[in-house]
Amino acid sequence: MEQILKDEKVLLKTLWPVLLIFGMALATVIIVYGMESIAHGVHDAFHDFRHVIGMPCH
Amino acid sequence: MELDYTGWKRGVGSGVVAGIIWGWVAMVLNTISGVFPFESSLFHNLISFSVGGAVIGIVVGVFLAITSKWLPFKGFFTKAVFVSTSIWILLSIGGFLLSAMSPWRYNALGVQAFQGLVLALILGCILGTVWKVYQRKGV
Repeated sequence: MEQILKDEKVLLKTLWPVLLIFGMALATVIIVYGMESIAHGVHDAFHDFRHVIGMPCH
Repeated sequence: MELDYTGWKRGVGSGVVAGIIWGWVAMVLNTISGVFPFESSLFHNLISFSVGGAVIGIVVGVFLAITSKWLPFKGFFTKAVFVSTSIWILLSIGGFLLSAMSPWRYNALGVQAFQGLVLALILGCILGTVWKVYQRKGV
């Protein structure tokens, strides 16, 4: 029982960073490519940022 | 397999700080170079560059924390520059592929790409410095 609880703690400790990395990587892709279909308004919100960091835009 | 808890937390912390500083540096550098004339207001850009910088900073910081054991460099400074530049190159490749698929939507410009590459190097330098400060303080 203790081993199961310990394993769950380890799993949660590992899951949290993995979710964070996945979320931040997804946010990066959405911001960098201005994916309007996923996040409405992201293109205009980060338009200047995208150009300045050298990503293709219209 | 358990992740290095202190390492990734330091990656997030230093990534946020370095990313926000980097966003402001990017604004200043672009103002000096004049590569892209800003279209939004200063207030809008302060927020968008801070948020965008923080998000990219976290990604670079966490990847640095995860991959640092396997990178063939000694100092964190060099490792940070390598990781930030690699991530920028990957994102650029994706951008150029999108540009090839739909050129009316994604228009790649060489001079902006060069500025982006320089900024990626600068992000690595800032992140490496912040990481060292965090390490020294034991955060």
